[in-house]
Amino acid sequence: MSKLKLNGVSKAYGATLALRRGDLEVMAGEVHVLMGSNGSGKSTLCKIIAGSVRPDDGRILIDDTPVTITGPRSARAQGIGIFYQELSLAAHRTVEENICLAALPAKARLFVDRTALKERAARYIALFDGVSGDGFSADALVGNLRPDQRQLVEIMKALASEAPLLIFDEPTSALDRAQVERFFEILRDLKRRGRGIIFISHRMDEIKAIGDRVTIIRDGETITTLNLGETDAGTVIRLMVGGAGDMPASQSSAPAVVDAKDGAALTVRNLSGAGFRNVSFEVARGEILGFGGLHGQGQSALLRAIFGAGSIATGEIRIGSDRFDAASPRDAIRRGCAYVSGDRGRDGVISGRPIIENVTPIHYLRDRLMIARPSKLSDRVAPALESMHTKFASLFHPINSLSGGNQQKVIIARWLIDRPDVLLLDDPTKGIDLSAKADLFALIRQLAAEGLGIILYSSEDAELLGNANRILVFNGGSVSRELTGPERTRYNLYQAAYEAA
Amino acid sequence: MTEIATSPTYRRTGGIRRLLERYPFLPALAIVLVLLSLNGVFSPNSLSYRSLTGLLSTYMALILLAIAQTYVVYAGDIDLSAGSILSLVNVAIVVLMERWGGGAGAVLLALALGLLLGLACGLVNGLVVAALRLQAIVATFATSIFFTGLALYILPVAGTPAPTIFWRTYGGRLLGLPFVFYILGGLVLLLLVLGRTRLTTQLLAVGDDQQAAYQTGLPVVSIRVRGYLLCGLFSALAAFCITGDTASGDPLVGGKMTLFSVAAVVLGGSALSGGWGTVVGSLLGALTIGLISSVVFFMGTPSEWQNFVQGLAILVVLMAGVLAGRRARP
Repeated sequence: MSKLKLNGVSKAYGATLALRRGDLEVMAGEVHVLMGSNGSGKSTLCKIIAGSVRPDDGRILIDDTPVTITGPRSARAQGIGIFYQELSLAAHRTVEENICLAALPAKARLFVDRTALKERAARYIALFDGVSGDGFSADALVGNLRPDQRQLVEIMKALASEAPLLIFDEPTSALDRAQVERFFEILRDLKRRGRGIIFISHRMDEIKAIGDRVTIIRDGETITTLNLGETDAGTVIRLMVGGAGDMPASQSSAPAVVDAKDGAALTVRNLSGAGFRNVSFEVARGEILGFGGLHGQGQSALLRAIFGAGSIATGEIRIGSDRFDAASPRDAIRRGCAYVSGDRGRDGVISGRPIIENVTPIHYLRDRLMIARPSKLSDRVAPALESMHTKFASLFHPINSLSGGNQQKVIIARWLIDRPDVLLLDDPTKGIDLSAKADLFALIRQLAAEGLGIILYSSEDAELLGNANRILVFNGGSVSRELTGPERTRYNLYQAAYEAA
Repeated sequence: MTEIATSPTYRRTGGIRRLLERYPFLPALAIVLVLLSLNGVFSPNSLSYRSLTGLLSTYMALILLAIAQTYVVYAGDIDLSAGSILSLVNVAIVVLMERWGGGAGAVLLALALGLLLGLACGLVNGLVVAALRLQAIVATFATSIFFTGLALYILPVAGTPAPTIFWRTYGGRLLGLPFVFYILGGLVLLLLVLGRTRLTTQLLAVGDDQQAAYQTGLPVVSIRVRGYLLCGLFSALAAFCITGDTASGDPLVGGKMTLFSVAAVVLGGSALSGGWGTVVGSLLGALTIGLISSVVFFMGTPSEWQNFVQGLAILVVLMAGVLAGRRARP
């Protein structure tokens, strides 16, 4: 019997289509896996079912009856429970309160029935007895728990909904083996009791262990549904990647591999910190080193930590042959390190100020400039902007008058007046158009040719494959694989990113 | 996969930390005790039964207003109109009591209407902030001007006296005990009852993470509106106390009290960002503000320096509270 059926569900945010066409059928008593790369629309699909995102189009059927889901409350009423990837917990409430938050047991309709609440929560806490770790108790505040324990609370909360259809959007990303095993036992039990389960994970072994069928999503479209018993990992990855998966990155596009005599621009040894562990690598002068892998596997955290904006626990960083451990971004800039973030609004743009002011702050800092003379500065600013074909009316127009791509060019131009030694690019092309991307990468290659050491983290694999000499694939905060030369194929990149950490 | 945690703060919970987690108002309580003893040092007389009763009846209005503020702060909102609601209810009940002759029946009826008026103001705030999704700080600032305008329309100049029976009761005694003690007792009972309601937990959950609460399936808009309703209700109760204390109507009496109520909430250990706090803390925070004024007075500070010293003292107390409270917050 079909528990849930989606027909042609779609969702657009402004001009971007988050979900082009979602078709899905989940049976009672099956674990239905969703697979797709970053931003392919898995989470959007789940949120539409759970009511926290309203679809633009399409039909949803529960038990073969068409339904309208107006919000999370109505989804719950229709018998849908969900584990949110980003968790939906209240940090200052206790574990038991969080588990029962959606439907607090009531006394006289007004008061919280503490005894009933404790009893109900204890049932779900008991499911993970022995694997929930130190400091985990019914009355512990969720904010004091470790990430894996928080994830367990979110699982318990989803289970406590006792919904016939349960959605788990990456529930195992922080769990250890024993916890995952226990969770899978619970899922198998739920399966036997006829619940329908949607499950998302990026770990092939887990999917093999628990899944019955898999639906593949690519670019916001559900491609196909397969029986997991009759397929293999290679097929699944090929379907996720699409047709061009096996083509190697074009060799001509990558710049010449480094001269040995130039030496290392940046050396990182055994670096650990919040979000990454034991990372070592070397970037030579003139080299573009790519960071790949799924989103949020420590790439950004590492780049920010090198730039002095994140914390480092242990390890060593050198720029050239000097020891480099920047206490703050200000310090890092003085020592010749540059950082460009894809999140312009947060990390780059000085909103509402003229373009010239947006190009010059690094120059002020590095030259310890006290008095700014616009006419003189213009002479230095103009060539930097021109080298990237930035389109602007005048230097004194506010930066907000530019398109996203041109804003990003202005941000990069900042670093071109006084050349840094090392350039850290943290997903720099997020949300900018194709021609701006082309200009940007042309410049990045030119900078590399001039001898800068460049690290490029990109969430778009094509950018990495087309520009990086080497690619380090991150998984769970550390480097799981290094791809060099002809190994740099889309297929290898996916496989390294998706295999178990 | 989810972003790997950027701030790993999961150390073991120690004894003090655990205690502070359970009773976040302990630092505020300690501060109140310190201030009380300071009062005793500068003027032993100020610790007498009589002066403490006086302190309580003067600051009961601020205590109630701070509690009113707490319920919206729980949900991560703020109400800059609480003081104006207090003024509006104050002038409304004084004018009504006078019109209806000032007898016991008139007083009770006026009080009932005052409560309804407070609730109505809270409803307006709640709808404007939660349903229309306007910024709480600016929206309630706007409604505060509106409520003050209404108060000025009802009573353009301060001075209409409250009926004798009303302020005599408030400042008097009942069965040998000062009336404010009954108010305090009733208040504590009411707070205990409210603390056990589902609404309190839901308000805190909304303040903790509104998006998470929405995704959990909580009716976020209705919960926030109910927070503002509670705020309106307690502001009206605060108005009753100020009317009993000043024995007259004044359309501008509450204006200055709004920010004091916010300060009291913070001094009491609640987080302005929501999700964390206690009403008992706010009660103590309001007392702290009262005690600071009295210490400054009893220290013999010259009048031109009193504001200066008072502001400085509040800063110091705030700092002490932050240092102690930082350990409690997860």
